[in-house]
Amino acid sequence: MGKKKVEFVVNGQQVSLEVRHDERLVDVLRNQLGLKGTKTGCREGECGTCSVILNGKIVPSCLVPVMKAEGGKIVTVEGLEQEGELHPLQSSFIEKGAVQCGFCTPGMLLAAKNLLDHNSEPTEGEIRRAISGIFCRCTGYRKIVQAIQAASQMMKSSK
Amino acid sequence: MTHNTVLNWPQHLHWEDYYQPLGISEALRLLDEFKGDAKIIAGGTDVLVQMRRRQLSPRVIVDITRIPGLDQIREEQGIIKVGALVTHTQAEQSLLVREKAPALSEGASHVGSPQIRNLGTIAGNLVSGQPGADTAIPLLALGAAVKLVTAKGERTIPLNEFFVDIGKTAIHGTLGLITEILIPAQKRGETSVYLRLASRRALALPILAVGVVLSADLKKKRFLHTSISLGPVARTPIKAVEAEALLKDAPIEEKLIREAARKAAQVSDPRDSLLRGCSDYRKAMAENLVERGIRQCLDRLEGIHG
Repeated sequence: MGKKKVEFVVNGQQVSLEVRHDERLVDVLRNQLGLKGTKTGCREGECGTCSVILNGKIVPSCLVPVMKAEGGKIVTVEGLEQEGELHPLQSSFIEKGAVQCGFCTPGMLLAAKNLLDHNSEPTEGEIRRAISGIFCRCTGYRKIVQAIQAASQMMKSSK
Repeated sequence: MTHNTVLNWPQHLHWEDYYQPLGISEALRLLDEFKGDAKIIAGGTDVLVQMRRRQLSPRVIVDITRIPGLDQIREEQGIIKVGALVTHTQAEQSLLVREKAPALSEGASHVGSPQIRNLGTIAGNLVSGQPGADTAIPLLALGAAVKLVTAKGERTIPLNEFFVDIGKTAIHGTLGLITEILIPAQKRGETSVYLRLASRRALALPILAVGVVLSADLKKKRFLHTSISLGPVARTPIKAVEAEALLKDAPIEEKLIREAARKAAQVSDPRDSLLRGCSDYRKAMAENLVERGIRQCLDRLEGIHG
């Protein structure tokens, strides 16, 4: 199997890799870059736990052939923390008890971040729609929604 | 339905090469070179899943997302032109589509999940040829056409000739591609709606979906032109031609709306499905949804012009 070179920016860092061109982004992130925060679930784009932000859009990284990421900008859950400080969403998820088994959490955080990046004061309906592509089988979503609401308030008052 | 169990599906996909052509002619040259063993992808959200389920096994992938100029939605001389790389998210959010082809914006808003809508394209949704495709049904009602290009050249065909069977359309991703979708822009006095019945509001396949496009003269209380599409109630998305004819230049009356809805439901032949419900239920709901669709169009026209 031929390898190809691919370059992209992950969490602000430029990377240059030799990859199998039939790999998908999720596997390269996890196995070559060691970014295991991105989970693999269904591998069919249904469950949302592998979601990352690619060029400003939330996408299921299991359905992104790695070659598509060439020249792109990727944010994974590891990129949320800045200089040892948790992102307000992360603190809020902890505080509000929005994490139970934790498997959906990386995708949830990124979907929430992507929402707040575009819409700093979303309604409950907008929040629910933004996270609708990520399955949580523990929380019933209520605390996740509350945590996102709280983070949005926190980010607004700290501006 | 294959007998592969989930456990049998591969963790990894394989292809011999991955091409990212920068022009349509280069993409066609690759298809020609590999003679049926190269498959076009844009978002890849259907093809990659089909490959994982071993329903497809192309030797090489031709990813067209780097071809410039195909990701635009624009209006030219009363026609909305949707490029091959326009995603569901783009179509959902486009002000032009919302104003002049609202049923498409509504259809696109229901596809998969936000993540899928960011990757998947309208053109890809059409090529996949599923009878319940959330963009195919409104586009059929809207009277859309598609511009196809193969090694033999370019042709434009109306969507009602495009769908052949489940998963089968006038174009195959190993032979060519849709370059553009052409939609007549709605004029004053005309509107459209897409209604969908599903078990949940998100991430659920439609039990039933209906597109209605309608123009009326509200002062004279008359329908002018009506177009109704339904899915997944047959092997392709279908039009309810008899119901449309019944409403042509007819008075806006309760009885007639109900009769048209009944006629529309008669052309539907939904299967009993564990996922989508039994045939009788779905037929009853088809009638209900068409009636609601007609009423919602009238309400919208009142809202705009009343």
